Amino acid sequence: MSTIESPGVTVSRTGEQGAFGGELLTVNFGPHHPSTHGVLRLIVDLDGEQIKRVQPVIGYLHTGIEKQMEALRWQQGVVVTDRHDYLSPPINNLAYALAVEKLMGVEVPPRARALRVIMSELTRLSSHLVWLGTSGIELGAMSMLMYCFREREQIMDLNEEISGFRMHTSYIRPGGVFADSTPRFLEMLDKFVREMPGHVDEYEDLLTMNPIWRARTIGIGRLPAEDAKVLGATGPMLRGSGVEWDLRKSMPYSGYEDYDFEVAVSNDCDCYGRYLVRIKEMREAVKILRQALDRLPDGPVNIDDRKMLPPPREELETSMEAVIHHFKLFTEGYTVPAGDAYVAVESGRGENGCYIVSDGTHKPRRVKFRSASFVNLQALERMALNHMVADMIAIIGTADTVLGDVDR
Amino acid sequence: MIPDALVLEKGITARDQWVTVPAERIREVLSALKTDGYRLLVFLTCVDHLIDSSREFPARFEIVYQLRDLEKPADIRVRAFVGGESPRIDSVHDLFPTANWDERETYDMFGIVFSGHPGLTRILMPDDWVGHPLRRDFPVGGEVVEFSEEHQTWQTAPDEA
Repeated sequence: MSTIESPGVTVSRTGEQGAFGGELLTVNFGPHHPSTHGVLRLIVDLDGEQIKRVQPVIGYLHTGIEKQMEALRWQQGVVVTDRHDYLSPPINNLAYALAVEKLMGVEVPPRARALRVIMSELTRLSSHLVWLGTSGIELGAMSMLMYCFREREQIMDLNEEISGFRMHTSYIRPGGVFADSTPRFLEMLDKFVREMPGHVDEYEDLLTMNPIWRARTIGIGRLPAEDAKVLGATGPMLRGSGVEWDLRKSMPYSGYEDYDFEVAVSNDCDCYGRYLVRIKEMREAVKILRQALDRLPDGPVNIDDRKMLPPPREELETSMEAVIHHFKLFTEGYTVPAGDAYVAVESGRGENGCYIVSDGTHKPRRVKFRSASFVNLQALERMALNHMVADMIAIIGTADTVLGDVDR
Repeated sequence: MIPDALVLEKGITARDQWVTVPAERIREVLSALKTDGYRLLVFLTCVDHLIDSSREFPARFEIVYQLRDLEKPADIRVRAFVGGESPRIDSVHDLFPTANWDERETYDMFGIVFSGHPGLTRILMPDDWVGHPLRRDFPVGGEVVEFSEEHQTWQTAPDEA
């Protein structure tokens, strides 16, 4: 193997013969290429323009999130969960909160469950909007990003209204949610839900029948259903291959069984199929939001357990007990019974799970995030094989991996 | 079904079904479960039970396999314990292709060697990193910041890792 030795240039010749008489060439792709949605490095073996091998190199965004969780108390860990899949913080919060609640054996009140569903679906929308905008740009539909970010901005405003933060909301926490929804939030949400279906129509007008978009995505990155299952793909990657598997339907959590929605499936098994699945999911998310908004139950948004959640501010002035609880909670936290639990939730990318192990102290022994991106990325080679280099952009784009989630 | 001889312990914790099996027979167990329909390996990871007084553990490292049957749907968690100076267990990458990266990650983070893995290298940490960060005795804090003025010494091995 000979390598062209000069800093920055990473092309090497493998010496293997390609199908057209030429030699296979190894080319480095990334790690900071704009189309890799983060910092993903690929080592690609090419026969002319055709991809013969893909070796993803990951870890550039590794921040040791699982190690950090071990050093934080149970209630502090929520802040960290926001940050691994940075396009869907509330869904990550939900996975962690449900896992802790499962191990402690507590159930949150109905209003908290409904608010969690609302936040999850808003997040799914905003995550799909980022995906649609950036994939559009990569494949030449420059205006998509502006349309998509216009609506995403409204979701950010909704996040800000309910939690005070635009991106890393930490809104869903073990025992309930951070705060009740404000009347203004519900008004804003109502307006958003009324307008959003029209906006999804706009995106479809721009892309679904667009000849360039279709030429770049139809038949590209094929992933047959059987391969998708064997490779462990989840989310739109699996549903885009014709497998009807959605955790919200198959293994419902947080009250999803009470909502009426369809699982988006496409039998195309290619990039276009995955695009159709995500568009359909956006419509279904709006449907769920409408139902959640219409049936939002009254009542508390947190469990009534002073050992787990702080007392209301006004009680601190009159009750000594409240002061003690407050002090205990913020100095040592609460303990979780020894054992382990796994909870999986459906994020915009697939199965985002949280596996927690407790040794009965006030800090986790181990927190493992099962990230959809990490597993879905393994299917990249299968999808990219024998395609042109330029198609790889479409394939990485529609796989919708978030590198923060891959590397954690 | 898993042959009874291979089941060391089983139970249900927090509504999750689990079974403990001998580490050296892990491939047998997982292929039996795969035949039963548990065809998706949701995740594979390790838990370090160093100085954990909450329960009794046969060895320091617990390897956890979460399997799922998409048809039922049902989950099962398989545990296997390994210990010693150089903990090792058989790779299952050929039974479940998703295990490939999970095993690399577990090797990277815990130093568990998966025999028969086609390319067991570090996946998240830099190739020349010393130690296995998710072990409980890997120190948190106090490390020299990478890419800073002190970066010459950033690879200093942690004392206990």
